[in-house]
Order: sequence, then C-alpha cells, then structure tokens
Amino acid sequence: RMGALTGLRVADASEGVAGGYCTKLLASLGADVLKVERPRVGDTLRRAGPFLNDVPHLETSAVNLHLAAGKRSITLDVTSPTGASLFERLLETADGLVIGDHTSLHHSLGLASLSSRFPRLVVTQITPFGASGPRVPWLATELITMTTSGYLMMNGDADREPIKPYGHQSEYQAGLHAALGTLAAITDRDRDPNGAAEAERPARSLDVAISEAATFLTGGAIARAATFDRESSRNGTRPAGFPPEYLYPSTIRPTADGGYVYTHRHNRFPNLLAALMQEPRLAASDLLAQPLGHADETDAMMDRWLATRDKWRAAEEAQELRVPFTEVLDPGEIVDDRLGQHRARAFFVDIEHPVAGVVTQPGAPIVLPACSAATSSAPLLGEHNREVYVGQLGLAPRSLARLAAAGVI
Amino acid sequence: MRPLVGIRVIDLTVAIAGPVATQLLADLGADVIRVEPPFARPLHVDIRPLVDGASDRPYNRILSYNDLQRGKRALTLDLSKSLGRDALLRLAAISDVVVENMAPRVLPSLGLAYNDLRAAKTDVIVVSMPAFGTDGPLRDRVSYGPGIDAMSGIAHLTGYPDRGPMQPANYYCDYNAGALAALATLAALRHRNRTGEGQHVELSMLEGDLQVVGEALLDYTMNRRIQRRSGNDHPSMAPHGVYRGIGDDRWLAIACETDAQWAALCDVLGHAGLARDPRYADVVSRVRHRQEIDAIISTWTADRDAGDVAILLQHAGVPAAAAETIRDLLIDPQLHARDFIRHIEHPEAGALPYIRPAFTPTTAAARPAPLYAQDNRYVLKDLLGLSDNEILTLAEQGIIAEVPPNTS
Repeated sequence: RMGALTGLRVADASEGVAGGYCTKLLASLGADVLKVERPRVGDTLRRAGPFLNDVPHLETSAVNLHLAAGKRSITLDVTSPTGASLFERLLETADGLVIGDHTSLHHSLGLASLSSRFPRLVVTQITPFGASGPRVPWLATELITMTTSGYLMMNGDADREPIKPYGHQSEYQAGLHAALGTLAAITDRDRDPNGAAEAERPARSLDVAISEAATFLTGGAIARAATFDRESSRNGTRPAGFPPEYLYPSTIRPTADGGYVYTHRHNRFPNLLAALMQEPRLAASDLLAQPLGHADETDAMMDRWLATRDKWRAAEEAQELRVPFTEVLDPGEIVDDRLGQHRARAFFVDIEHPVAGVVTQPGAPIVLPACSAATSSAPLLGEHNREVYVGQLGLAPRSLARLAAAGVI
Repeated sequence: MRPLVGIRVIDLTVAIAGPVATQLLADLGADVIRVEPPFARPLHVDIRPLVDGASDRPYNRILSYNDLQRGKRALTLDLSKSLGRDALLRLAAISDVVVENMAPRVLPSLGLAYNDLRAAKTDVIVVSMPAFGTDGPLRDRVSYGPGIDAMSGIAHLTGYPDRGPMQPANYYCDYNAGALAALATLAALRHRNRTGEGQHVELSMLEGDLQVVGEALLDYTMNRRIQRRSGNDHPSMAPHGVYRGIGDDRWLAIACETDAQWAALCDVLGHAGLARDPRYADVVSRVRHRQEIDAIISTWTADRDAGDVAILLQHAGVPAAAAETIRDLLIDPQLHARDFIRHIEHPEAGALPYIRPAFTPTTAAARPAPLYAQDNRYVLKDLLGLSDNEILTLAEQGIIAEVPPNTS
C-alpha cells in the first residue's frame, strides 16, 4: 500500500504555523515534504516554546515536533547565489513549493517567473493578508490577522475586550486552506487532458491569506449582517448574532466538581432536556418559542441540576437520554483518555525522536483505509542534507563541508 | 481553477460541517447533489425578506440554508423507503463521491453502508464525518460542533484567565472539519485515479480539532504541563493585547515582537522615556510587567480612533490593527480588492454575500443555493432515466416532494 499522495514532492520554504500545518497535512497523506530551512537557526517554529523540560533547544520545540513530523529537512541559504541555484535544481523535480512572507527569498527566487520556468510547479504563497490589496505592507502576527478577520469580535464576553481563540487558529486554518488549494491546483494540473482543454488556464500560483482563513470561521455572520443589519457580537459561550428564537442551550456551564460541561438541546427532540432535568419548564411552549431569549432562566435551571453532578456524570446521564452534553476537557484529560476513545482508535502515536525521545502526539486526522499512513518524527535541522545534496542532486560528498563553511548549508 | 469539473458528489450531509465540505467541493467545480428528506424545514429563525414579485415560499428563504448550500443541486428523497433507497443506489452508480455526516449508525441502518454503496459502484469514495469516530466507545455519542470543541481542549484553552472556558465562536469545529473533509476527498480521488480503488474515508471531527491544539497536547505529553487559558496574553510578546478605542465597542490590537517595535510604539505614544525604562527593557521584563504596560496603552487608546492609530502604528513599524466587526467586513477595502465577498442573486431571497475559501484563484460557483426540490426532475429523469409514471409513484408514496409536506 502507498499513501494517497505518494510520489508528490513538496518543498516547504515557509516558516511558522500556517505553512508548517499545510505541509504537515500533505505529508500525512503521503507527500514527500522537504523543509528548506535557514542554516543554523532553522524554521522559527524550532525556536518557539514550550520546549522539552523548558530548555530551549532547536530540536525539542513542541510545535515543531508536532508540525514537522513526517517531513525531511535540509538547510539552505536560498538568498545566496549558490543557494538559489541549488534550490532551483530541487524545484525541477518538485510538484509544489510552499512559501511564506519571506521577501528576500522571493527576490532571490524570482517568484514572479517561477511558474514559467517550472511549468509543473504549483507555488503556494501564504501571507497575512494575501499578495494583493492595500494591506500587503502591513506587519502582522496571529493576533493581528485575527483582529482584521472579524472573527476576533465574535469571541469573548460582551462586557470585556474581545479575545483571540487559543494558539494560532488563523494560521492553522490558513494552513488547512493552503493544503486544500495546493492539492486542488495539483489535481487541476494532472486532470484528464480532454477535460483540461475546455478549462481555463490551470492555476500554478496560489495566494493564501491568513486573515481570510479566519474570516472563513465567521461563516453565516456576513450573510446575517447583510440581510438584517445585525452584528454577530461576542456573547460569551452563548451563540453570537442570533435572535431570541434561536436554539438554546448551547453554552458551557459549571459542574459540582469545579469542572464544566458543554450543554446543548437536541435539535430534533427539544423536550428531552426537560425530561433529563425533570424540569417541565424547560419544555414550556413560551420558552421553546424563544429558547435563546430565555437563556438566563435556562442557565439557572441547568445550574441547579449540574450542582449535584460532576462533569463526567452530567455528560453521561445526558447522553443516556441522547441530550448532547459533553465534558470540557483539558489537555491532560484528553491524553489520559478516561473515556477510552483515543485508545480504541489508536489516535495518539508514540514517535521516537533522536533528541526529544519518545513523544506522544496526535495522529493524522484523515483516515484513508486503502492507503498507508506511516508517520516519522520531526527531522533534525539539516538531517537530510547528505541524502538530498549527494543522493538526489549528485553533489560530491566533500563539497558539503565547503558549502557549510560558506554558510550556504 | 475548477479541478473537480466532471466529478459528481452525492451530498447526504446535515448541520454545518458536512455542508461546508460539499460547498468547498462545489467551489472547486464538482457537481454536488444534495439529497434531502421530503420533510418540512424549520422556519422559526432568520428568514430572508421576499424578493418583489417572487412566490412566497419561506422555506426557500432560510438564511442559513442559502448560505451553506450555494452552488449545489437539491433532490428530495426519502431514504427510509425502499424505492428511495433504490434511487439513491442508482445515483451512486453514476457518481464519484458520497459525503455524509450523520450519526455513524444511520446509513447502515438504512441499508446504505459503505459496502452497499460499493456494490452499486465498485470504486465509490464515501467520506464520513462522524463527531468522534466510526468506532470506539464514543461512537454513538450525540454532539454538535461546539460540544466537540469542548472535548478537544480548545474550549479549556480559550477564554479569560479569571473566567471559565469558552469554545471559539460560531462552530469552529464544523468549519475546521469541513475543510479537512474536502482535503480528504481530493486525496481519495487522487488515489482512485491512480489505482482504480475507492474507499471509505473517515474524518473524525474531534481528531480534526485535536490538530490545532497540538502544541498544548505535546506540552502535556513532554512536560506534564496543563496549559491554562490566558486571554490575549502571549508567553513571549508584550505588549500583546486588544485595547479599547473611542466609540461604541471599537478595539485596537497591538503585538510587539521585538525591542525595536516596542521602542517605535513608545515613540508613537509620545513616551520616549518608557523605551529607556529598565523595567521594560527586554521582552522578558515586559512580559513580567505586562499589566502596567497594558494600562499605559489603554489610557492612551481610550480617546483615540482605533483605525487611525492602527495606521499610525503600522507606519511606525509596529504590528497593529483595528478590530473589524462583521459589518465592517462588508466594506473592507482589503477584502474588496481581493474579491473575497461576492454577491449571488437568489430568485426568491435576493442577493446574498458569499465568501470564498482563503485561497485564490478559485472559481467559486456563481449559482445560489437550490430551491426546495429544484433538481428532482434533472436527477430522476435526466440522470437516472426514470419514467414519468415512476416519478409519479415516488411522489404519491411521499418519497419525493415538490413542496415540503404541510405547506401549501
């Protein structure tokens, strides 16, 4: 068996979460992903904490071990003339190139002419706001792209400042869209020639905007704003941007053990919640006519029931009646897997890394039973220099030392 | 770019995650046929105003439906009846992909498990999007997207440090899973085109969600640390926050990555002394004193326009932006320049703004969402070759419907 994307070669010269997640997804589907990293320092992800035992080290960053798993790594200064020409030789056999916001790289590669020089190559560029428009020169981080996306303003309590979701969500979503777009462009390239004849010129250059990926998460809110001139303002853990008739509960409430459950009414069987809590009022017709309009009253009734149960029992009793409650879990509870789901599906995998040791990490999200799904550890910085420069490009082994001394690799 | 032209997708999806997946496939050129039960639709919330002169059929003006189903066809078909099941299997025989996100026991109970579909078409690709998985002890748990966000850790990790956990707004898990399922479909099609082999693809929404908190999971497996929510604070940047500007609910985000950006910020604040203050000299000390810094910035932004300040700071080399509301997006010059929002006319509900995926070029379908039962005749007669009598029989038995039952 082989991976679904076995045979596809993708060079990843991007840095950060978005490009890293894009090529992690492609690697998890079987593509041969080669990280092209700056000599000595590597991808910025390698320098982002947390690290194993909190000791900064280029090989033990949690986010790099997560995102670089299944890839290979070479070091190359693509801004040097020698580096640029080596890079071009790699691109001759590549199907995809993923790049970020690295302008010096764009200059030395001649980004604009890449697609004419390498007609089979799909170039995916991931930038905060995209490659066109007035915001191109703006500086950005995850917080900034969240802020321009509109999604930030949907998150948080109405009486406090809006807050960004945990971590790097606009970058993760951009990486996901970039992977989808890259594979779509490669599919377009490889299509049946009869079909391609009637299509427009195939796209070989993809422009991915991180902020737009976060805006994708506002789905529906733009249509509501345009229709009803209604803002989808942040509303704590309750639905944002809906009228009183909207379904409720769909919120997080505290439980007796100091934990929390996510509570929800079954869309098709709204009366089950009243039965679960033996609270007829929860099925009263005026309440069901405007469930979100009765949110405070609903919360108070649910809180009475939840005050005598821990989160595990609350979710279990609700689920027995097919009321969709779930426990709010922290990372430790997820990995420890009291409910047994991850063990049963062998979702977490133990991957041995030469410096970090055996690291338990999430497995691939997409299960393709007809395809293989082996995962290797994140590569050491430049681990595959010899394999690529000597084995693939045919350089003399002794030239590696010279290139290293010149700072090219 | 329309790489999926010629690919026919049967869309058995419900809720949000599934329709997002098939919308992305339609955007990429696939012919997506929604198969919907001939039931009434919920009409209690967000019905679009009627277009002048159009027939008054409120079930065609449900905003969430029209938003999620653009560019698709619609067939009504009751799969619980044997003639309905037969028609679906005949449609499967001439289709490439089936996407579904019902509870894992539903399709098998209708006699439409992967093996049944495969008997109709040997290389069929079935994409299932269960909440937790098609196996395991949680297989039959009920949950919508936000309930999965609760179990993926992202709700625990999102929120104010002094308040409870908060799932990301607006069905994060659904949009994440939808895009992953579209990616999975492209991968399975590539495999089929090379090997002639179909398969039953699985995308557990929970496992999709766990990808985006990977660094927090590894912090636990490597260091036994359980990360806590920290609002807008960043572990290695300060200032890093969202500050109130003048006006109604207007906010400004600032993220200083370097000492130079901090110095530039102090300059714009007209507070050059701050840049020399040893308490804020490097990022470690700024992180330690972040609350003092946040207070200084908040005082300064309170009577200023967030949009003006953002431009001032960007010119000075400081990452900053004014927080856009959803209504702001409709007139955003950046999105406008990139054709991110397009208005598509719906015959009964008027023009609706649609957003494309975060990559260009795309040739997002320029067709609106389908009307109820819009494509019954196209599918049953043109594609499946049913006779008028056979179609009449389906209608008489309530297996198809031209209007929702109990409406006139």
